[in-house]
Amino acid sequence: MPRAFPPLAIPASAGIGLRSPHIGEMLTRRPSAGWLEVHAENYMGDGAGVEALERLRQTYPLSVHGVGLSLGSARGVDPDHLERLRKVCERFQPDLVSEHLAWSVADGAYLNDLLPLRYDEEALAIVARNVATVQDSLKRQVLIENLSAYVAFSDSSMNEAEFLSELVVRTGCGLLLDVNNVQVSAHNLQYDARAFIDALPAESIGEIHLAGHAINRVGADTVLIDDHGSRVPPVVWSLYQHAIGRLGPRPTLIEWDTDVPVLDVLLGEAMWADMLSASIMFDRKQAARQTASAKPQPQSTRVSFEAEARTSMPVLAAFAVARAGTAVPLALPPIQGGYHAAA
Amino acid sequence: MLPLEHLQTTMARSVLAIEPLATAKILTAGKADPLARLRIYQNNTRSSLTAVLMAVFPVTVRLVDERFFRFVASEFIRRHPPVESRLARYGAGFPRFLKTVDTLSDMPVVAETARLEWSIAEALDAASLPPRALAEFDNTDLGPSPDIQLQPSLRLIVSHWSILSVWMAHQQGAVVDQHSAWTRRPERVALWRAGDSVRLVLLDRANFAFRHSLKHGLGLEHATSRALALDPAFDLVAALMRLFDDGLVTDVRIPIHPLSN
Repeated sequence: MPRAFPPLAIPASAGIGLRSPHIGEMLTRRPSAGWLEVHAENYMGDGAGVEALERLRQTYPLSVHGVGLSLGSARGVDPDHLERLRKVCERFQPDLVSEHLAWSVADGAYLNDLLPLRYDEEALAIVARNVATVQDSLKRQVLIENLSAYVAFSDSSMNEAEFLSELVVRTGCGLLLDVNNVQVSAHNLQYDARAFIDALPAESIGEIHLAGHAINRVGADTVLIDDHGSRVPPVVWSLYQHAIGRLGPRPTLIEWDTDVPVLDVLLGEAMWADMLSASIMFDRKQAARQTASAKPQPQSTRVSFEAEARTSMPVLAAFAVARAGTAVPLALPPIQGGYHAAA
Repeated sequence: MLPLEHLQTTMARSVLAIEPLATAKILTAGKADPLARLRIYQNNTRSSLTAVLMAVFPVTVRLVDERFFRFVASEFIRRHPPVESRLARYGAGFPRFLKTVDTLSDMPVVAETARLEWSIAEALDAASLPPRALAEFDNTDLGPSPDIQLQPSLRLIVSHWSILSVWMAHQQGAVVDQHSAWTRRPERVALWRAGDSVRLVLLDRANFAFRHSLKHGLGLEHATSRALALDPAFDLVAALMRLFDDGLVTDVRIPIHPLSN
């Protein structure tokens, strides 16, 4: 009989990926972290980590992120693994569940890496069928994450953004926008990162991932490696700023998987994400006020606190913008679509 | 154009370095060489799975040197890649694989120590149930041969080699004296999860057989007779108290026998 947990909704703010070196400190300190995300595969056994997560789940909203379903496998998803994922969801009752647009199982082997698909009608039909199987089994919507890639396929008939958009239409899944993955793939395969973000259906994006990457130079080739082993670099903050400018605030995860630093570094990165998001929304309000005050307004007797407060951008938020490396444009485009988290 | 399943099989075999990709024409990578980029996936797979094995077999790594371990791990990964994405299960076949490595043929203690480390990994991934105290059964008539349920994480290993001594010698703070540790001396080890660590103890033949019988559900009577057969001086009361003191007993039940009128 699964334990009953409070139904904690994931807020449209920053959270951190829970990693084993931090579990003890999370349990004793209970720091202010908006929400937690765990890799589903790490919680399919009965070890001490599982017991710890049950305790943390009492306090923190939870997202379960799968890395091993291999939604792109032509042979379909492994029913045993799907059942294990279902049990993890039943046990921890997460608010969000996500997986990747990738394959990692073929020829009877699990490669422990996320490989890209050939984006065509055949793959779309296979992935749509697999996503539908997963959503039917879990009885919930899942978010599908864009991939970091080092190669693409010559015979693809569409790009990844078109593929994801059609997947949303066919299955009703949501999307997880990994901004670092966008930067890595766009650099490695030479396309426009911002155009990729703009091409996704905004209302379907229920979560964002942020992480660092490594830069490897091999001969004339400079390749970005998605190693999740460093702070979020300025170029990714800048893309995140673009994404939030278009989407509005979204649950945003700081991912760190290799050379994991002390917990406070992750919490600090999460704070920056919140500050950046807040500063964008603050400036959007300021810009809207300026536009409104430039027009002749009918006299109103209603006095709002907001209308009177003409403060400058908060200092920390200003730092966040500075870290992103670019200035916030004065006139921001309106938010496209509403925010509909998968919750 | 290859069907997707065929394409994925071809790529997977290339990533695992089983056979090279027949044609690079199916791949693109901007201005870069697609085959060089494909090697990133090969490297990711090999290095991440090697890291998994190194985390499970840290003492084995130290016994054979890290560079040699990485070489052997690469071969193991190529020949025996994971069959499922639950990596907590990956490495079960690694100790047996080490026995087939020619270079290690005169060092059987390496594979045996790896066997111990795999049992530790299994125990760490197993449930730890609330232990029962002996006093809880003071007023209960359990009959002559109750079933004693033990912690699911309990693992019992017997080896011709002094595997626990070797393992202990490589723990933090231990004084390493490999010459005395690497001896051909049978050791019987019981280990189980206690919180987020593992407890390991050496047992004599009788106590090992006693716990082994109980673990396999053969009942107290059978376990006792097995232990007494190996050691007529076997002390049942002491053995039972030790089971409870170790927190290994999770339940004691009266066995259900069919009515015989």
